[in-house]
Amino acid sequence: MDALCRICCIPAELLAKVPGLGPLIRMCCTSVGQKVLMALTGLALCGFLVTHLSGNLLLFAGEEAFNTYAEKLHSMGALLKAAEVGLLATFLAHLGLAVSTTAMSRRARSKQYAQKESKQGAFALPSGGASNWMLLTGLGIGAFLVLHLVDLKFKLRPDLDYATQDGAYATVNMVLPSPVSFVAYSVALILLGIHLSHGVRSALQSLGVSHSKWNKLIEIGSMLFAWAIALGFICVLGWVVLNS
Amino acid sequence: MSSDLINLTLRVWRQNDPDSQGQFESYQLNGVSTHMSFLEMLDVLNEQLIESGQESVAFDHDCREGICGTCSLMINGQAHGPDKATTTCQLHMRRFNDGDTVTIEPWRATGFPVVKDLVVDRGAFDRIISAGGYVSVNTGNAPDGNAIPIAGTTQEVAMDAAACIGCGACVAACKNASAMLFVSAKVSQLAILPQGQQERSERVVSMVSQMDDEGFGSCTNTSECEAACPAEISVSNIARLNREYLRASLCGRD
Amino acid sequence: MVRVASETLNSRVPEGHVDQIWDKHRFNMKLVNPANKRKFSVIVVGTGLAGGSAAASLAELGYEVKSFCFQDSPRRAHSIAAQGGINAAKNYPNDGDSIWRLFYDTVKGGDYRAREANVYRLAQVSNNIIDQCVAQGVPFAREYGGTLANRSFGGAQVSRTFYSRGQTGQQLLLGAYQAMMRQVQLGKVQLYARREMLELIVVDGVARGIIVRNLVTGQLETHTADAVVMSTGGYGNVYYLSTNAKGCNVTAAWRCHKRGAYFANPCYTQIHPTCIPVSGDYQSKLTLMSESLRNDGRVWVPKNAGDSRAPAEIPDEDRDYYLERRYPSFGNLVPRDVASRAAKERCDAGFGVGDTNLAVYLDFRDAIMRVGEDAIRKKYGNLFHMYHKTTAEDPYKVPMRIFPAVHYTMGGLWVDYHLMSNLPGLFVLGEANFSDHGANRLGASALMQGLSDGYFVLPYTIGDHLATSELPTVPEDHPACVEALESAKGRIDQLLSVQGTRTVDSFHRDLGQIMWDNCGMARNKAGLESAVGQIQELREQFWQNVRVLGNGQSFNQSLEKAGRVADFLEFGELLATDALHREESCGGHFREEHQTDEGEAKRNDEKFNYVAAWEYNGVGEDSTLHKEPLSFDNVPPATRSYK
Repeated sequence: MDALCRICCIPAELLAKVPGLGPLIRMCCTSVGQKVLMALTGLALCGFLVTHLSGNLLLFAGEEAFNTYAEKLHSMGALLKAAEVGLLATFLAHLGLAVSTTAMSRRARSKQYAQKESKQGAFALPSGGASNWMLLTGLGIGAFLVLHLVDLKFKLRPDLDYATQDGAYATVNMVLPSPVSFVAYSVALILLGIHLSHGVRSALQSLGVSHSKWNKLIEIGSMLFAWAIALGFICVLGWVVLNS
Repeated sequence: MSSDLINLTLRVWRQNDPDSQGQFESYQLNGVSTHMSFLEMLDVLNEQLIESGQESVAFDHDCREGICGTCSLMINGQAHGPDKATTTCQLHMRRFNDGDTVTIEPWRATGFPVVKDLVVDRGAFDRIISAGGYVSVNTGNAPDGNAIPIAGTTQEVAMDAAACIGCGACVAACKNASAMLFVSAKVSQLAILPQGQQERSERVVSMVSQMDDEGFGSCTNTSECEAACPAEISVSNIARLNREYLRASLCGRD
Repeated sequence: MVRVASETLNSRVPEGHVDQIWDKHRFNMKLVNPANKRKFSVIVVGTGLAGGSAAASLAELGYEVKSFCFQDSPRRAHSIAAQGGINAAKNYPNDGDSIWRLFYDTVKGGDYRAREANVYRLAQVSNNIIDQCVAQGVPFAREYGGTLANRSFGGAQVSRTFYSRGQTGQQLLLGAYQAMMRQVQLGKVQLYARREMLELIVVDGVARGIIVRNLVTGQLETHTADAVVMSTGGYGNVYYLSTNAKGCNVTAAWRCHKRGAYFANPCYTQIHPTCIPVSGDYQSKLTLMSESLRNDGRVWVPKNAGDSRAPAEIPDEDRDYYLERRYPSFGNLVPRDVASRAAKERCDAGFGVGDTNLAVYLDFRDAIMRVGEDAIRKKYGNLFHMYHKTTAEDPYKVPMRIFPAVHYTMGGLWVDYHLMSNLPGLFVLGEANFSDHGANRLGASALMQGLSDGYFVLPYTIGDHLATSELPTVPEDHPACVEALESAKGRIDQLLSVQGTRTVDSFHRDLGQIMWDNCGMARNKAGLESAVGQIQELREQFWQNVRVLGNGQSFNQSLEKAGRVADFLEFGELLATDALHREESCGGHFREEHQTDEGEAKRNDEKFNYVAAWEYNGVGEDSTLHKEPLSFDNVPPATRSYK
């Protein structure tokens, strides 16, 4: 096969010659491999969400606790930067893979059906609908992230006065109740819940995690995890807004 | 048993050859017995078309008992029609009501180009099998059938996967036109059985590579294929394929 | 009048005791040097169990193989529909089976009309088939401990049938198909799907190639080779309604016959007793319900003709369990031919049930009461499900309605011990040949024969032909090739030029009716004679009035069907002629004139102990009968009794 890799556009044969890593690299050039990478990056992002949420939950513990946490985090310097770069790279890879696999799937059916109905019926997985909206929910979350970074990382919202706020706790309590943020954050978190409700289960399936004995548990566990994350953030949002 | 007769409007995809555009044609078909199978209903349509001087609708079919995998058809947007675990040839007209409009389309996928009307070319499946869907054992080389015991339960799981009839409904129903269910069924059957162990890694790598080359989409784990499969092949086979592929990539040789 | 050839046919069965012939002969046959095998090419038509296994095995040996099928994929050949299982003399259950017993049962089951040496070889290699299939990854049913499981089938008192649920044919075929696809990948087999064979190319009396039509483009292609292998299945669809797939046809075999290959025993057809009955004029095919159902189901009709009560409301005293009544010792488990005739007899006498009065009940009420619905579901669940899908009736609650239907054809192109026809270089395998089943085939033996021919017989015998024959290169513009191509083309043009008013299917349906009425389960002189006349008449009408639309240069399913029906219209006459000439009853061939007082089949070993191989002399011309005498040195003929 002299085909070019669908992701990096380097001849697959050349890639396979990298000593020791041939099979691994070759995998990344296939549809199956792309889904594996998609799963790994997705799960990594889930890992980030867990840490992010645990940090945010400190908001419930009050201003001092949260600010201490924020300061500690920011004092990590280079380590934090590295983590941020890694996170960005993971996010971009996840996005890139999504675009790439979607393009592949579009090519796989150039002519659409005049009529198309699901056969999964009323007993379909609750995530059945979600799987159809992965790219859109993902892009929605991506758009939200830009706002989120502008809001709270770079503190560049022109309509807000960051200078008057002292400490992370205060900043958060200023930003979230602003109408734009409140609406955007609420919508995004619901999108996140939807995205994860299919994403987590799908990632596990892509990694081959499946067993007739455990599949029901895996399914329910994935769903619980997805909505626990989304609801966790929503609680934080609600708490902050109600307290402001 | 009294025979109930219904009248139908059929919207059938007509396409002269692979290169032409194709369009829907509507046909009124009256007095369809509800005891007919769906394909017998199309037979009746074709007889009427020929009698009125029009070319018959081309559709693939052969055994008409649900095992050869030749028949296809998207019926009202569903692969093999509305029933679960049923091929088009096993679908009966009692499933439809008087006055219904029935839309009939061919499988649509880049990997399954239309040959004519409702007939598509599924040669891609053959090429995927020839890429590695076998055990390399020449005639005459076999040890005694009982030389390697296989637990009854293991055999059952292999048989569940081996039951695939290769009709292509999984591709047709998948929103990504992915062939993963078909490929994973063969990979699974041979990965489960001891006879398939020797070529386990090479097999999954070659078959997936061929699958990609044929232009099928990627699997997004929606399970629509499983719902559409007349042989009820489970998506757990897809998970097994993913496992096999990971294993081959992590532990396989260059 | 039947024209009889003066010389008998030579079956080339070597001398010796039946259990040593094959081993000795394998040594005596000439071999092709391994390095020379790639210089020989072989055409294999058909990709079922016989064709698929032959193509794979020949390619493995090193021959260059071209494989053809009319389906869109070789995996769809009709072998895939076989349900029950495959016999082998493994004797795993330790119940007294042996190669000799399988040989004995098969010869007896065939009503003493099969060639002993072939049957013995079949029994011998049956064990290798199981080993080969297991090694390919065929998921045969297993016991808890992991060893292969067996079940029982009709005509045998031992358990020797290996199976994969109710899909044994599918699994065996996929094994052969995969072995063949491996050779496609290795470049040793060239695969030509959606190709229909329309002519055989014979050069100086030797089969050297075929003309096929590419069914997608309509193009006619010439393919030449050093040998041609036909594995194109049976001709059951001459009856229009049968359990065969819609595409099954006699065309390839008939083309060979018209080029000189003899057609043997066409009147031996198997009518399977348990099929879902016809439900209307639109019916396109019949669905088999496995023979195994008769283990637990009881067959009956009402004692009073025209009893219109629902079956459940008919009390036992008003039911006629006619199989149990007539055959007390075998009861519902009499062989296929006997069960079929008994059902016909009851329906003819006016006791049939259902809308058409052409059905009998197969009732599981007693079995369900005895062992419970769950136990029945475990055993037959998939069959009950299939029945339910087709009829919308629940067989757990109401008895199944069943009726016999055409299922398998024992007759076929005549072959010698090498599986070569009288035309040198033309080999015929599987259901397409006539060889191993005599006048009646036992359940689970068709799969065995197809795979035996392809995996373990042809690879040896074809070498002998290639090693011992002068085979000069045949270029595509050889006069014989050109002539065959023109002949195929002329036929297509002729079909398209009729431009009549009747559809192909309507002719096929009429032919089927003639065949079923006169050459079905019971035949008689007057009926057969009338059939011959009716077929000739129908054939004439066909060529004057058939309507085939479209053209020959494109995908045209009407044209495909027309060609096949045209051949059935010629072949049907030969079937009737053969049935007319065979003035005896044996196996699937039942002549009403030749029965015992109790209505059982009566063979005439004195006059008809031979294979009837017919030579073609032209359409409408009488064929010439060549006889191959049969001898039974090891299984002495006896009258079959199931009382």
